[in-house]
Amino acid sequence: MSLFMPEPDQQTLAKASSIISQLRKISKNVLSEEEEKAVYETDGLSVHRQRPIAVVLPENTEEVSKVLKYCYENNIKVVPRGAGTGLSGGALPLKDCVLVGLGKFNKILETDFENRCVVTQPGVTNLAITGAVQHEGFYYAPDPSSQLACSIGGNISTNAGGVHSLKYGVTTNNVLGVEMVLIDGTIIRLGGKNLDPEGYDLLGIITGSEGLLGVITEITVRILKKPQSVRAVLIGFNTNDDAGNCVADIISSGIIPAGMEIMDKPLIIATDNFAKAGYPRDVEVLLIVELDGTETEVNTLINKVLDIANKNKASYNRASESEEERLRFWKGRKAAFTALGVISPDYICMDGSIPRKKLGDVLNKIASLSKKYGLGVANCFHAGDGNLHPLIMFDSNNPKELKKAESFGADILKYCVKVGGVLSGEHGIGIEKRDLMCEMFNNDDIQQQLNLKKAFDEKNLLNPGKVFPILHRCAEEGRVHIHKGKTRFPNLPRF
Amino acid sequence: MSEIYQPANEVEIAQYVYDCYQASRPIEISTLNTKPIGRSIQCSQTLDLRKNSGIMEYAPEELYIKVKAGTPLLEILEALKKNKQTLGFEPVNLGYLYSGKSNFGSVAGTVSCNLSGPRRFKVGALRDHLLGFTAINGKGESIQSGGTVVKNVTGYDLSKLLAGSYGTLSVLTEVILKVTPEPEHSETLIIHGLSFENASKIFSQVLKTSLEVSGACYYPSNNIKFLRLNDVKNTASVTALRIEGPKQSVNERIQNLQKIFSEYNDQTVLEVYQSNLFWKITANLECFSNSPNLIAKISLPPSVTSKFVSTFAEDPILRINNKYFLDWAGGLVWIEIDNADPSFLILEKMKKFCIEHGGHITVVKADLNYRRTGLFISSNDENIKILSAKVKNSFDPKSILNPGKIYAGI
Repeated sequence: MSLFMPEPDQQTLAKASSIISQLRKISKNVLSEEEEKAVYETDGLSVHRQRPIAVVLPENTEEVSKVLKYCYENNIKVVPRGAGTGLSGGALPLKDCVLVGLGKFNKILETDFENRCVVTQPGVTNLAITGAVQHEGFYYAPDPSSQLACSIGGNISTNAGGVHSLKYGVTTNNVLGVEMVLIDGTIIRLGGKNLDPEGYDLLGIITGSEGLLGVITEITVRILKKPQSVRAVLIGFNTNDDAGNCVADIISSGIIPAGMEIMDKPLIIATDNFAKAGYPRDVEVLLIVELDGTETEVNTLINKVLDIANKNKASYNRASESEEERLRFWKGRKAAFTALGVISPDYICMDGSIPRKKLGDVLNKIASLSKKYGLGVANCFHAGDGNLHPLIMFDSNNPKELKKAESFGADILKYCVKVGGVLSGEHGIGIEKRDLMCEMFNNDDIQQQLNLKKAFDEKNLLNPGKVFPILHRCAEEGRVHIHKGKTRFPNLPRF
Repeated sequence: MSEIYQPANEVEIAQYVYDCYQASRPIEISTLNTKPIGRSIQCSQTLDLRKNSGIMEYAPEELYIKVKAGTPLLEILEALKKNKQTLGFEPVNLGYLYSGKSNFGSVAGTVSCNLSGPRRFKVGALRDHLLGFTAINGKGESIQSGGTVVKNVTGYDLSKLLAGSYGTLSVLTEVILKVTPEPEHSETLIIHGLSFENASKIFSQVLKTSLEVSGACYYPSNNIKFLRLNDVKNTASVTALRIEGPKQSVNERIQNLQKIFSEYNDQTVLEVYQSNLFWKITANLECFSNSPNLIAKISLPPSVTSKFVSTFAEDPILRINNKYFLDWAGGLVWIEIDNADPSFLILEKMKKFCIEHGGHITVVKADLNYRRTGLFISSNDENIKILSAKVKNSFDPKSILNPGKIYAGI
């Protein structure tokens, strides 16, 4: 699959062996053999692959600082990488880059129950943080489906969410501080164990910046006490509109569930086959609503939710009667991506966010696009916060299908923007949605973001080619609007 | 005398900023012009945003409200109230601090200060509730970021940067805020007569339970006269724990709290009316109403707050007796510092303490003299200052928007 990326710098490529030997003076973990680098040639968006000049796996902040300083002084591009589970290609290497993998930053440094936080290295998995504090009844709230494998550093770079972000927020709402290294090797600390850092909220801008502003080497996250009681309800509907209206009515009634997920029929069947979750198979749409709080509160809320569901013509409902049953309800949803892998050779996962009231509308649009492109689609949504994950099925052995799948995905995202939504809710832009940024932002918006990037990385060495459209590419795809003879992005640097 | 310009809409604001950019003319940005917060700056021009006002879009079921930036915050709160909704972070009404009476100011001013009330430790800060904005940068260009949806990683999250930037990066023209349902019911357990050490222990203990306390503050005995509530004694210190949610659940959890802290037997439960009033008074900083002194806000890891208080607020040997109160379950100290010591020696010591203990201090109110020369925020990290200057430059290359409001020279 061809992908337009910044032109590799021939001078850098020519001195590859000297770069490798210089890096070896800094770190003992430098991988330069083809088979060693192969592990790092792609991330969760595996249709694109590229091997870097070298992979460095630093062991401490000083090493990261020295690697970056060396690259900065020698104008070498750097791509940071966490666990490589990202779905938008944010960790895709460039041919002329040094890939900095944070895999050896795998220790939890401190669990601090007095201040209700955990200090950790970025390579630790999301789930391991909860693992380190659950003996005291605490947990870390954001829970992306990949939480077993994805790293907390990667979570910061994409501002990861999860099924519980409706009530407990996404990564940015749960990070208290970071230590990070700027491209010139400067080590800075932002925030800490206290709330609301003073001055500009640089921590807020780092979160979700997809590795373009710095390399994170330490993280402080807040942890929460587990609720006293948690129950989930399965609710089945015969139409998208009924399910969408039910979601809107639950929110309008003043209830903020801990999680509220929607799956459509193809996914209900696939996940139920895979995880034996006990889902009803004769409904078109399944809604999972989770409520937490005190026991009385949860029971009251479940009754309210069921009332609302009935008013919206629900054809099925079941509330979990035990913790085991609740976990089984989630087992299917959390295995959605894996389950789909069983029925389709390949799929791409989209990640638009839309206003809740447009859920039914967008689901119907996706169904009609599916017919138009002749490709199957399965849908799971974080319905509570309007974040959708249509999974477009295709066969990568047929090159035409990938192209079709990508166009299908782009059409969905454009529709999301059209109804007042955004391109990405929690996976990030990466390379996947980079060229669609023109759909959401105008010249001044993009230029402002690029100027901010320059404040952190004047030479544009950190993760170039990601997030922002490359002018050439935009024009090629006919997305550049010509206004009064001027292109829409006259000032965009061509990197 | 500064020349005041009151543009009526975004286009006029953009044109005005563009002209000032061309002429390299610094602008002081003001909305309702009531709160001299931040360092004192002198500009020949004042941009007053009050005419760019009004609610643009309010979708209760979508949990957001989109408004023009000059809209009075009170107007927004009243509109939300009609739908039993509110701003979850409990905006701080600084009017009491500055003029002794209620004045929320405008939404732009509120966003620019990123101050959050008692519920902050549970639901996040103002910046966590700012979903998107449109603004005019220092070159007169209209920029937008974010949107009406809560989950969004489409480009850098500029909303975070604009919140708390005191108008130094861009002039806000439109703001989109997340709204939350008003809690169905609220009650507060008051424990009288505790030392600050014991109050801190209670805060720590209560957050290790699943009782979901949504307010936790402490007023020492020298700072309770203003609390004119029937059920609150004004002779002994007050430790307050708020519970919100469905009525039955609130009752259960309050009973649980009483049980857990039964060793402290001087307890009162504030029913919903008094409970709401108590937290309103707290969010409004009414204990410092019209204070002639310097008022600072100190954010610390909760575990070191007791040490801060014993060093700077209640030291019997040094006879330090500064008026203060603790909020955010011990993560925040509001303190009054006597203007009698014009060199503010104690302030310097506090700053040192904060930096050493992983916290910071912000001077929220001070006289003009102090605001001209003193530090507004405590960070002394040179690398952060350099980076902040570059960030400012990326929005406002000629430094014409509220120059020097946060840092001298930036």
